[in-house]
Amino acid sequence: MAKDAPNERQTLAELAEASGVAVRTIRYYIARGLLPPPLVGGRGACYGGAHLERLASIQALQSQGLTLAQIAWRLGEGQPEPQLPQPSAWWNYPIARDVVVLVRSDAAPWRLKRVRSLIVQMAAQLGSEENKEESDAR
Amino acid sequence: MPVDTTTCGFMALRAESGKPIQLAMQQLWLQGRILPFGARLIVRHVFRSGETQPLEVIYAFAMPRDAALRQFVITGEGFRVRSRLKPTEEAAKEYEAGIQEGHLATLVRQYGDGMVNLTVGNIRPNETVVVLLEVLTGVEAHDAGLRFRFPFTLAPSYHRGARTVEFEPGVGEIELPEEEFDDLILPRYHQDATGLHEVGFSLSITMAQPIAEVSSPSHALRVKMGDDQCRRVMLSPAREVPDRDLVLDVATRESKPCILVGAGKDGRRRFAALVPSRAFGETSAAPRHVVFVLDRSGSMCGIPIEQAKKALAACLGVLAADDEFGIVAFDNRAETFGSGVHKGDRRSRDEAGKFLAAIEARGGTELAQAVAAAVKLLGHSAGDILVITDGQVSGTEQILGGARAGGARLHCLGIGSASQDRFLTLLARQTGGVCRFVTPRERVDLAAVDLFASIGRPIASELEAHIEGAEGGHITPDPPSAVFVGAPVILFGDTGQNGQGQLIIKWAKPQSGRLELPLDAPDSGLGETLRLLQGSRLITDSDSRYLGETVERALDRHEQKRLGDRLQALSEAYGLASRRMSLVAVVERAGDQPGDIAKTTVVPVGMPQDVLFGAYFRRSSGSPNATGAFGFAPPMVMPSPSLPCDRTPRSASYPIAHAAASTVSRISSSMRKRFRHGKPVEAEKPLETALGPEDLLLDLAQQLEPDGGMPGKNDFERVVRSLVALLAFLIEGHTTTAGAFRTHVQRLMHFLETSAFGSLNTQQRRSLNDALEWIKKGNAPPWKLDDLLAWEETEALDRLMRLVTPP
Repeated sequence: MAKDAPNERQTLAELAEASGVAVRTIRYYIARGLLPPPLVGGRGACYGGAHLERLASIQALQSQGLTLAQIAWRLGEGQPEPQLPQPSAWWNYPIARDVVVLVRSDAAPWRLKRVRSLIVQMAAQLGSEENKEESDAR
Repeated sequence: MPVDTTTCGFMALRAESGKPIQLAMQQLWLQGRILPFGARLIVRHVFRSGETQPLEVIYAFAMPRDAALRQFVITGEGFRVRSRLKPTEEAAKEYEAGIQEGHLATLVRQYGDGMVNLTVGNIRPNETVVVLLEVLTGVEAHDAGLRFRFPFTLAPSYHRGARTVEFEPGVGEIELPEEEFDDLILPRYHQDATGLHEVGFSLSITMAQPIAEVSSPSHALRVKMGDDQCRRVMLSPAREVPDRDLVLDVATRESKPCILVGAGKDGRRRFAALVPSRAFGETSAAPRHVVFVLDRSGSMCGIPIEQAKKALAACLGVLAADDEFGIVAFDNRAETFGSGVHKGDRRSRDEAGKFLAAIEARGGTELAQAVAAAVKLLGHSAGDILVITDGQVSGTEQILGGARAGGARLHCLGIGSASQDRFLTLLARQTGGVCRFVTPRERVDLAAVDLFASIGRPIASELEAHIEGAEGGHITPDPPSAVFVGAPVILFGDTGQNGQGQLIIKWAKPQSGRLELPLDAPDSGLGETLRLLQGSRLITDSDSRYLGETVERALDRHEQKRLGDRLQALSEAYGLASRRMSLVAVVERAGDQPGDIAKTTVVPVGMPQDVLFGAYFRRSSGSPNATGAFGFAPPMVMPSPSLPCDRTPRSASYPIAHAAASTVSRISSSMRKRFRHGKPVEAEKPLETALGPEDLLLDLAQQLEPDGGMPGKNDFERVVRSLVALLAFLIEGHTTTAGAFRTHVQRLMHFLETSAFGSLNTQQRRSLNDALEWIKKGNAPPWKLDDLLAWEETEALDRLMRLVTPP
């Protein structure tokens, strides 16, 4: 974005009036990274002509049917947004007071069967050890 | 990873850090009181900032039916501030000024379609703020009880101009056009609501009649008994996730008129009256003119569309030859069965059955077109339109305007979380119809048959109400234009300080009648609540007619300004918010400094559990992000034209689905065999759709001939089969006045009582008369339906005669 001369700077309310975009919506765009933060923060927070241009671009792209997420990508000059890895679900087996076993839920059925059988064995082993510790302590 | 995963199965984590996600809103808790006429609720929102800079949180929600917002109280460390009601523009300015100065500011603003943004700005790092929002809502009143529904989540809505995207896997976004919805901000929709804010409720119920039962098809309840007319209900688990609406059913033991009276804050005596439909008499036998409007949009895919089709087939079974019917199936476009209405004869019904069988779920929800097509089918004849839909649509004010102008009476059956209770209620009420809602866990077909049994033949119409014996009495809003079976009339009004007098209700058709209800009940202490419930009804009605002042034609603009001014005047008179008046509060905390711009975040919501995520959001292979693991779908006018349907249309394999078009020759042993030994239904179906008595009754209902009897080769066969069908309905509790199949029972009785049956001999006639007399005395055989249908018809008849004339 081009630098703005001090006499082009305006408050958030003025920017909202000039652009026709609500003040709250402008803050929302900043939080989503669609619009840069104010040129100067604090009590004298101000915005420049580039903010106004960016708001006009957003409105134009919205009228073409793009969502804010798509606009963020488009205005980011083709830079891919940080991507989350694909999520995966895990089974959670708390088998003792201090032991949890996590197993990927999409493991093959035959493997899950085998893993569960091992977990049962492990839980039984840990359980008997805990009982022994408790009786020793008594 | 420093996360305790031993206490919970799932937790939302930040992918980059593995730390738990900070929820801006942590809890939504519903408290308050439900009355026969409406509810007065407090919704508790707990916000907490985990950010390092000031936080602005936006929570979007939809208003329940007949709802209005009264006030909120915002509390935190060292402060407790009550909101003020101000014109929306002024309230928004006050909010922004507060934010600018670094104060804690809160704005509650209502938009079109009953959407609301609750915005809390400048929450400090680690600060907890609680907003208690007071809401007045309506209830779905029945003759003997009520259904209460409150949205714990927000369903996506269909709008032609909406932009949607699957933002990341399982997370969708919808943006509505600004020219209609101004700066409304909608949340992100999470396919999996686990990890979102917790929800719960604790509500008291006070009815005018003894309560028989309180239940919920949506949530597990704990019910505490009070006296006969009071209960307290709480969520049974400690908390729930926001992925479905709360639905409560309250059944009372009696059904009789009730009036609550109390002094309002303005000093006037306020009253609310509930008059059950049966107080107005019996349904007339006039011919019906009905058009069925069936939503076949993609979200109806699977069980809902099959159940709706079966329901329509059963409704057709009620029609007599002099009745007239039409069908409109709609998605993005409306398709009609023929070009007008059809007589209810066998041929038309069979053709309609074929039309229904070809219907598949697909596309969007263009309800306005469908209603217009239905009105066109009815032509100049007055008639009823029954709308069966699960869709939530935007731009409802325009649809309502079109429906009102159409002049037909609309009755609505809303299915599932996405059906818009507020809109469908308005659509029915403003056109003189009734509205019902079913959850996805209930049977659509029975609800549709039940609703159909009520409509088309009002018990009373051209109602007029006034107060006698008390000066200065008013009744607002006006009484409904017609009364239908099962739907009571609710009236709100007021008299002078000492006025008592009588409430008079008169009606002109089908026969004139008059009810007198004394207003001398002792003060209930609920006068102010009654005034607010009256106000919320009036404001909802007025709000639904207001399109905003940006309409194109100058004449319309003038009319809209008038409506807007009336809305504002109502808001000021009742102290309730509307689109013209909003709630605002600014809290000046010690140490507030104008400073950093607040970081704005929107509270995500869970996708309603019965709504297909893919029906509204879809990923695209043509992603603009070529390198990402996932990308954004192209701009999509939703919903997608062809949906990947992950709800298997199991009902398609039901033998019953084909029964309407067939001429089943036997209804006894052969029918039983079809269900027990026919196609491998059980192997394909989950437990919840196993064939029950209702399926058998639906099959019978579809087979009724236009004269009201069952089919057969000769008089004797028709009489015996009709008697067996009648017994089947009676065994399951359906009579001429009660149960979803009451109209079918009436038709069968009428057929057996009035048909000539020239080929019956004297003995057979005597047996038939004896059987009918026995049934008319309120008797029903103590048999199981399964047994009845297993017997040969003649055996069933022999057994019946042994009951009727014991040796």
